Amino acid sequence: MPDYDVIVAGGGHNGLVCAAYLAQAGRRVAVLERRAQAGGIVEVLHTAGRLQAAVIDDLDLRAHGLELIRPDARMIALREDGPPLTFWSDAERTAEGLRAVSAADADAYPRFDAHIRELAGFVAEVQASIPPRLDRAAIGDAAAGLRLARAYRRLGARAARELTRVLPMAAADLVGEWFGHDAIRAALAARGTLFTAMGPWSAGTALVLVADSAGNDGGAAGQTALPRGGPEALAGALVRAARAAGADVRTGAEVARVITRDGRVEGVELASGEQISAPAVACAVDPKTALTRWLDPVVAGPRLRWRAGNIRTPGATARIDLALSGLPAFARVADGTALSGRSVVAPGIDAVEQAFDAWKYGGMSDRPYLEATIPTLAEPDGDGHRMTVLAQWVPYAADPDEVGTKVLAALERVAPGIGGLVTSTTVRTPAAIEREYGLSGGHLYHAEPGLDQFFAWRPVIGLARHRLGLRGLYLCGAGAHPGGGITGGPGRNAAREILRDLRRAG
Amino acid sequence: MAERYDAIVVGGGHNGLVTAAYLARAGLRVCVLERRDVLGGAAVTEEIVPGFRFSVASYVVSLLRPEIVRELELPRHGLEILPLDGTFTPLEGDHLWRRNDHSRTLRELRRWSLSDAEAYDEYGIAMAQMARFVKPILSAVPPDQGRIDPRQWLPLRTLGRSFAELPRRLKDAFIQLMTMSAADFLDQWFETDPLKATMSASGIIGTFQGVRSPGTAYVLLHHYMGEIDGAFRAWGIPRGGTGGVSLAIASAARALGAEIRTEAEVARIDVSGGRATGVTLASGEELAAGAVLSSADPRVTFTGLLDQGTLDPEFRADLARYKFRGSSGKVNLALDGLPDFTCLPGRGEHLRGAISFSPSVDYMERAYDDAKYGRFSARPYVDMIIPTLVDPAMAPPGKHVMSCFVQYAPYHLADGAEWDDAARERFGDTVIDTIAEQAPNIRDLIVGRQVLTPLDIERRIGLTEGNIFQGELSLEQLFFNRPVPGWARFRTPIDDLWICGSGAHPGGGLMGAPGRIAALELLRERGRRKGVRARL
Repeated sequence: MPDYDVIVAGGGHNGLVCAAYLAQAGRRVAVLERRAQAGGIVEVLHTAGRLQAAVIDDLDLRAHGLELIRPDARMIALREDGPPLTFWSDAERTAEGLRAVSAADADAYPRFDAHIRELAGFVAEVQASIPPRLDRAAIGDAAAGLRLARAYRRLGARAARELTRVLPMAAADLVGEWFGHDAIRAALAARGTLFTAMGPWSAGTALVLVADSAGNDGGAAGQTALPRGGPEALAGALVRAARAAGADVRTGAEVARVITRDGRVEGVELASGEQISAPAVACAVDPKTALTRWLDPVVAGPRLRWRAGNIRTPGATARIDLALSGLPAFARVADGTALSGRSVVAPGIDAVEQAFDAWKYGGMSDRPYLEATIPTLAEPDGDGHRMTVLAQWVPYAADPDEVGTKVLAALERVAPGIGGLVTSTTVRTPAAIEREYGLSGGHLYHAEPGLDQFFAWRPVIGLARHRLGLRGLYLCGAGAHPGGGITGGPGRNAAREILRDLRRAG
Repeated sequence: MAERYDAIVVGGGHNGLVTAAYLARAGLRVCVLERRDVLGGAAVTEEIVPGFRFSVASYVVSLLRPEIVRELELPRHGLEILPLDGTFTPLEGDHLWRRNDHSRTLRELRRWSLSDAEAYDEYGIAMAQMARFVKPILSAVPPDQGRIDPRQWLPLRTLGRSFAELPRRLKDAFIQLMTMSAADFLDQWFETDPLKATMSASGIIGTFQGVRSPGTAYVLLHHYMGEIDGAFRAWGIPRGGTGGVSLAIASAARALGAEIRTEAEVARIDVSGGRATGVTLASGEELAAGAVLSSADPRVTFTGLLDQGTLDPEFRADLARYKFRGSSGKVNLALDGLPDFTCLPGRGEHLRGAISFSPSVDYMERAYDDAKYGRFSARPYVDMIIPTLVDPAMAPPGKHVMSCFVQYAPYHLADGAEWDDAARERFGDTVIDTIAEQAPNIRDLIVGRQVLTPLDIERRIGLTEGNIFQGELSLEQLFFNRPVPGWARFRTPIDDLWICGSGAHPGGGLMGAPGRIAALELLRERGRRKGVRARL
């Protein structure tokens, strides 16, 4: 008898979610995490507002200690040459604030918010579905197909047409259709480029933007939710939920390869040499790692290796952690509560695009696009503050000191004097993220969320249904549909498919 | 109203002429109205410098639908395509030269990279298979994605089935072609930078996108579409310039009974009771017709030629979002002799094909970056051909004409700058400078030059914002979204008003497809399709 029914290789949040669902269904599951603690990059992506409500409910995460703080201020766009723009959870309140900058844009905002919510509502249905087979119709797909068709029809003719038009657009074009003010456009469009190697003028960034608001209350401004107790608390709740359901969660257990025999999975071998047997292995790592490093090249074959090698994983995001001796004074921010969400530095569409331009040629702009949070505002921690910053676009092997200097200089422009408050700076470049978390290219979404790696072709055609082409081998990480971010979506969807196969096998 | 036609076609560009020919062929009484004194729209030949004849705008033929050539018997009406030999990319101290002679191209590629030479064949086969698969889309009437009515989706069923039957690697390729950037797509196959740059160039022609912009890979296919039509060699230049194509179509249309009038500018499409009833010319003359088909672009058709208030506000708002964004210019040169390239001196065979100024992917992308911020490229991508080497009659003996397609030149310049005479000349000088870096003798050869900015293209040819495809060929403006979601089936919210230009599916290029499908769709609706078949 094998040691387990399913081994989940990788203890990031999707791995834990997948394991918890499998264990809840009565399967014997082990999660194997290389690092000393589980949770993976929940500690890098600083908000958790995309975590699916169904995952929170099904795994009873609240009972396991998860509490999400949802500040009223979703986002504030900091500017050096004008008053900041604050986006509240209430669209009307946001519009009132925008009126100071542009009356026409203020009028448009609530309609745009509703528009994004409508499109995101449909995308949420897509995210919850298993992508169809593209070679032949499978009977099991009929239900998912019907559900999507119904959701599509519910949109009505006009919104359905709008959906097909908007999703492949550039985010800059999308917001350009609604807003005239450059700062407002940039504040709203930039989210479509976060974690990607695309600028606001790249086609398909509208999809990233809408998908970011799918399945949550994000709307036009995007969600913001900070786990009380920090990302460790979220990781802890997930681990407890998985264990409570009966899963073994082992840390310090690095998977070195997947063991196969006669075209099927038999288990994994750890770096220590230990072998653990199971007829199914769900990979919670990125698909390139799973297919080109864990799987025997002879078993994978040259064609699959070539395709897997071509999965695009251009990491371009750096994470900077600042310890501050006090709260910085942000220029012209009158209402302190406005800072409790995400603080964004994206002064204009062209400005953001230029930050992307520099990266295309291997450099980093002096004016990167930044998204920051100050978690100590909601949860004070002594006199000092902590600030987490995501910076776009940072070359893979950038010099961390140089990145830190540029980011601080950029912050200085919107928060004069912040440099004097910094007591420590930690920079993680894409290369460092790759080293630390094992993500190919350091891509925080495991694979670029471009139109070419989406839905039924994420990560590639034929492998989009969580099955990686070898009996018993599955993908349950962000490289699978519906993609990256702290959603739990890939883990949950994969568990459903794995259980379906296990039931079929008896 | 003295005249009454079954159908009036607004605009005598190649699509308008195709539409007229097909309608006339079905027995309709058709009249084409062209504003200018020459036919052809953007596919036009004109004598710009005395003795020198130029394909003023569009300059090569690659996509002209073979069924149009066949059905309208265009060779009988004077169409002759002269083949271009390969593509030559001049470089600093070197060159990359792909020729029609396959084995020599492979030998050349091996000089750069063995693996690229190996991949080249596999790539070519995959693309040819892809092109064969995609071709039916070019003749399909897009469904309305807002309606579930299965009948309109039927034409796509065959396509879906043939997609399911494709081998997996071609399914991959298809999805990637529809979504990837040209540079990313080529990265999977090749490593030689100038090769990737030159191949990727076809993905950005006429668009306001860079070679790294998602959605540009699709156009790579177009090169292979022409080449697989064995019966008819579709890649080359028409004898007598691209105007030769238009004149052949016009001759076919006339032979089929269509009336074609030049210097007949349509001032207004007349609408009565929500129905197009004819047109009024700038001269005041009124012409009545059972249907009006406009081959002008959507902006001209719906904003320029219709009384505002005829269209419902929602449609107008949708139309206002339709993007033109002209991005290309043209420099036509009359030459005293032939350019001499430093990297490959002499008047060799390399001058007989396309000469592509595309040394690296970064060069191409930087050219685009300039345009994004409202400047013409400091070092543009230039696609240059010398038609007189294959069609000497275009210039006096011993002289040459040279056609330079240039990207990028944005229609809207930054900082309130205008495309005035000075800007136009600066743009022209930049192009000459770019060429002179590789062929320094060019300056001494020039006896005449014509520079066309996007604004010039708009004014001269009537293409809004100088977009040569009558609207950006970006993903959100293709197929069922072209020009406006819900109105991609050649009909318009006004009864009996149709669109048949490149602003309709499947878009621009010297292809003729929109003109043909629009005509056939109108005939089908009028229940005359059977008659057409009988006549074919």
